[in-house]
Amino acid sequence: MQALVNPVWFYILLAVGGLGVALALPRPKVNPQLLGALIAAIGFGGIFLALGIKAYQNEQAPPVFFYIFALIGLGSALRVITHPRPVYAALYFILTILSSSALYLLLQAEFMAFALIIIYAGAILITYLFVIMLATQAPSEDQLEALSEYDRVSREPVVATAVGFILLAVLSTMLARGMNEGMPVKSDQNSDALLAQMPKKVLRGLDEAGLFRSGFERPSMDQLSEVIPDVGTRLNAQKRLVWLTVADEAEVRKSLDDPTFASLFVQRDAMEAEEFVDAVEAYKGQVKNGVTLPVSLPERLVASNIDRVGWALIAQHPMALELAGVILLMAMLGAVVLARKQIELSEAEKIEQSRTLASGPNGPPGGTF
Amino acid sequence: MEAMLTMLAATPVGPMGPMTLYHYLFVSAALFAIGVIGFLTRRNMIIMFLCTEMMFQAAGLALIAFSRFYLNQTGEVFVIFVLTIAAAEAALALALVVLLFRRKETLDAAEWRQLAG
Repeated sequence: MQALVNPVWFYILLAVGGLGVALALPRPKVNPQLLGALIAAIGFGGIFLALGIKAYQNEQAPPVFFYIFALIGLGSALRVITHPRPVYAALYFILTILSSSALYLLLQAEFMAFALIIIYAGAILITYLFVIMLATQAPSEDQLEALSEYDRVSREPVVATAVGFILLAVLSTMLARGMNEGMPVKSDQNSDALLAQMPKKVLRGLDEAGLFRSGFERPSMDQLSEVIPDVGTRLNAQKRLVWLTVADEAEVRKSLDDPTFASLFVQRDAMEAEEFVDAVEAYKGQVKNGVTLPVSLPERLVASNIDRVGWALIAQHPMALELAGVILLMAMLGAVVLARKQIELSEAEKIEQSRTLASGPNGPPGGTF
Repeated sequence: MEAMLTMLAATPVGPMGPMTLYHYLFVSAALFAIGVIGFLTRRNMIIMFLCTEMMFQAAGLALIAFSRFYLNQTGEVFVIFVLTIAAAEAALALALVVLLFRRKETLDAAEWRQLAG
């Protein structure tokens, strides 16, 4: 167990990054945001460079896209907390979301990556944008560029940055002290075992491999689900067997010369075509509905990320899924109740309101939405 | 410089490269720290909620990284719930912010200091 980054350099770079962030936070008069951003970039860039060199020495460097998207994501995250205009901050947050969904893609979590874009960037952030626009005081004519005081001045920038970076130093202690890291452990969710739960996917895979165009009868779903539990145990034993019924022996014979087709048969490697046809003959009569043959699943047929997530969600955590639905329902009800609440206005205020409404869009700022 | 260029050239492109956990964990930790700093420094209530969303993001990234590293999909399922909570929080918190804004015509969190009791 050795340090991934030299601890002294690591903490110096973190301090540099913290200094940059503290400088970049919005300030009333002198506002060295560009300088702060530059210093923060030096700090974070140095850490990433050190990590990258170390990973390269260990020959386990992540894809170069990792560095690109990590830096875009952190840079725009920094811009979220430093930009004085709330709408721009929200737009930069969308950029953070997009780059972290790119990181999800690098981690082969395709489903979550696109769900993140749709739900976060598409729905939640749009809600934020609407609320920012609703809840901003309309500037008067002469000061269209004016920002509210609470956006221009940050609260305790130095102390908060110190707290944040001490937290970061603690969270990333593993970089300075070293961590045990081998290659990823083997999954407890074997792809084949998962496939055994999905007869339709198996059937489609065999379809795409052209098996049923070559004289094999397409089994009905009932037949397949009878076979599938058996397939599951066989798949677990890495034998990958499916039993199929031969419909047209001549067609099978013809397709045997096609290497991609032939590779679907387990015994194909071990026996010649003629032998295989003999085996077909031997099987005849043993099974009532024609002949059944051992067939290996196509190589491309593996459980994809969405199969795995779906299985984990529906089969392993169904109760949690229901609870999530209940939480969303309650949140919706709560939002409706909150949004309906009316403010009691005094008589004078009511007159003022109606005058505002009557005078149209050029009326006094604020007050109604 | 030359070492860097060879590094870039040798870096496997695409998702099938070797998986290193600590890179992603550091990004996640940095995102979380930036979220904390933003939450502490910004005074606009909406931006403060935006920063909590950023911390959710950081947690999600760590969960996905662990889920990939241990090839166990439970981490991804957890991220789905993080998204659920984030959506619920956005709906409720933003409704509250709009209500508060209607009362005082300001988004400054310090204006609501009396709520602390």
